[in-house]
Amino acid sequence: MVQDNGRALVPVATELTGTPPVPDGQVDLPRLVAAAAFGLAVEAQRRSWDAAADVMGRFGRPLRALAGPAVAVARGSVAVARHHLDLDGWAARGRAEQRRAQEAAAGAVRALIAGVAAAVIEAIDLDEVMARVDLDRIVQRVDIDAIAGRIDLDAIVQRIDIDAIAGRIDLDAIVQRVDVDAIAARIDLDSVVARVDIEAILARVDLPGITEQVIDEVDLGEIIRESSSTMASETVDALRVQGMRVDGLVSRIVDGILRREGQRQTGPLPDDPQP
Amino acid sequence: MTRESRYAEARALQGHRAGFASRVVADLIDLGVAWLLGLSALVAGGVIIYLVTGPPFHLPVLPNWLDAGAGGVVAVVYLTFTWAATGRSVGKQIVGLRVVTEGGHRLPLWRSFVRAVLYVFFPVGLLWILASRRNASVQDLVVRTVVLYDWAYHPADEPPRSSARP
Repeated sequence: MVQDNGRALVPVATELTGTPPVPDGQVDLPRLVAAAAFGLAVEAQRRSWDAAADVMGRFGRPLRALAGPAVAVARGSVAVARHHLDLDGWAARGRAEQRRAQEAAAGAVRALIAGVAAAVIEAIDLDEVMARVDLDRIVQRVDIDAIAGRIDLDAIVQRIDIDAIAGRIDLDAIVQRVDVDAIAARIDLDSVVARVDIEAILARVDLPGITEQVIDEVDLGEIIRESSSTMASETVDALRVQGMRVDGLVSRIVDGILRREGQRQTGPLPDDPQP
Repeated sequence: MTRESRYAEARALQGHRAGFASRVVADLIDLGVAWLLGLSALVAGGVIIYLVTGPPFHLPVLPNWLDAGAGGVVAVVYLTFTWAATGRSVGKQIVGLRVVTEGGHRLPLWRSFVRAVLYVFFPVGLLWILASRRNASVQDLVVRTVVLYDWAYHPADEPPRSSARP
């Protein structure tokens, strides 16, 4: 396991690229030497790992057999050491120091990432990026029908609580804001009226039917009867009054001829006449 | 003459004894009504004869003695019943008169009958209205009746009110 991990971490010779060329064509000797030393060290580590692996393959089993008593001795001595040398306390201190170092490293990494991100954002010219984006092509790729097909409008509408929405709306406040006079002033009534096709409206109206209804409602017969009976009654009353006058006139003439004194006794009958 | 003044004048005279002119007009109208009744009776008789004997249709021709008598009978019957019923025949209704007893009550049938007979067979008795201080005809004196101005509609037994419409 350790060998595999180590091998994976160590670059092989074929992965190494050459020294980056200096812009003016000259060779940077110190960097070349340092790189070569690093390469040698890496290669030496790889080979020593390989050699160790061979050794472990060949002498592993006898060594493990021999190591058993040694490990037991070592464990006993470790227990003694733990007891007398306060190994646990040192280990705790070591772990604390390790955690601190990890936190410091994480903080450093975070700061580095923030710095890099800020630098990247500064370097990026968003206008230029947007200029490169071909929105038309993107939109062409979008299948709006498919998106619309996926949307379940019924479910959305069912979730909407229209009563609650309506309850929130303050219609009075809205109506108070509306300036009806201004709206009325904007309406061009002449143009509205000019659009109205009065003849078409009249053609729809059932004038004969309406007229018949009105005539049915108005009792013409009753009106005629009333007026004619009033006229007849007035005529009869006039005739009666004329008769009364002529009566008086005739009586006076006759009384004059007969040379009578005083009025005739034509008064009303007594209320309680003698039998 | 305005309507109001006319009515005021008429109202003042309600319940008073009617004069000669009004009563003659009413009696002339009654004469016409009686004539129409007689004619109707003749037409009815003609129709019956037509139904029984067949065409041609013609009014029955009465003998002279029966003709005069029948006319009188029709008039007497007509006047008797109208006076006894409401105190006013058609003519008196139109002119606004009512026949009552001297006590102001509805005529009994027999007095109404006597008065009608006197009316039909002794019409000259009406002329006495001119001379009478109480506007009474001979018939009124005999049967003791009175003819009043009475426009209002009311039961004949009630005395006439002293008010006219409206």
